[in-house]
Amino acid sequence: MKNWWKAFLGAFILIGLIAWGWWRFAPYSFHGMVMQSPEPAPDFTLLSKDGPVSLSDFRGKYVLLYFGYTFCPDVCPATLANLAQALHQIGRGAERVQVIMVSVDPERDTPEKIGEYVAHFDSSFIGLSGDPKDIARIASLYGIFYEKEEVAGAAGYLVTHTASVRVIDPEGRLKLIWPFGATPDEIAQDLKFLLRR
Amino acid sequence: MRRKRFVFLLLLLALLLTACGGKKGGLRVEGAWGRPSPKMAMAGAFYMTIYNDGAQDDRLISAASPACGTVELHESYMTPEGAMGMRPVAGGIPVPAKGKAELKVGGLHIMCIDVKEGFEVGKKVPLTLHFEKGGDLSVEVEIRQEAP
Ligand SMILES: [Cu+2]
Repeated sequence: MKNWWKAFLGAFILIGLIAWGWWRFAPYSFHGMVMQSPEPAPDFTLLSKDGPVSLSDFRGKYVLLYFGYTFCPDVCPATLANLAQALHQIGRGAERVQVIMVSVDPERDTPEKIGEYVAHFDSSFIGLSGDPKDIARIASLYGIFYEKEEVAGAAGYLVTHTASVRVIDPEGRLKLIWPFGATPDEIAQDLKFLLRR
Repeated sequence: MRRKRFVFLLLLLALLLTACGGKKGGLRVEGAWGRPSPKMAMAGAFYMTIYNDGAQDDRLISAASPACGTVELHESYMTPEGAMGMRPVAGGIPVPAKGKAELKVGGLHIMCIDVKEGFEVGKKVPLTLHFEKGGDLSVEVEIRQEAP
């Protein structure tokens, strides 16, 4: 009878270990493009509504970096809303995540305007604008394309822009890129995986 | 007495049917929604599915709302390089006979430019759709955080 009990306990521990190992070391497939050897993300300083902000201010946190503009009713709000919802899903882990949106329309987006705009989605979000030349340089460093498009109608012009989200790890390296359309569930899953280590 | 109750129920049913979504001829709209817009945002987008139960192809040519300075039909698209752009839809949005037109995030949408007042969650924004053949159809756009 005693042997039977020992075998049962052994099997129980073994299953537990396998489950833990799987949870800890199983290959995880991200919902975006993973940088195999993450390079340092170029640092930059731009203006928030509360003054200058640098990327390097957020060492120790995951930074989700997005380039967009406020006169963008479809793609940008969808992305910001998805990020906000994902942060809501990961609960306390969200304290170690910072969403930053950089304007690709600095002529129309003042730091105040983009700051208020992003706060509408989540009060922790930071919006940045600044000198158009600085923004052009930063965007090209991050492989972000954007271009003004004159259109007929009331909008005046629209800005075509790369709408993917860049994930910068707590050591300041570019780790992952989510394509436009990544869902809140996918983003939350990836963040949970990143945050548990 | 019974008859009165019957008439009342009939009226209630009619009211419910009309409240559930705009309907005109063979055209009806379901799930009209838009995201809450911050006051400083100049523009907001409306999404919906337009069904054409009739036997004739139709086309949404324009729309209007007292809540917007200007209303335009737009389309978000991806460039060959993978960037996202937006452009006015030339010639309107076709709604084929016995078919539908889907206006959704990242694609076709109705753009509200010069949002007159902020759109808060729960607000119902009146919108009139103008069709080439079906005439005008009035719908209410529900302001909510995500697609219904
Ligand atoms: Cu649009």
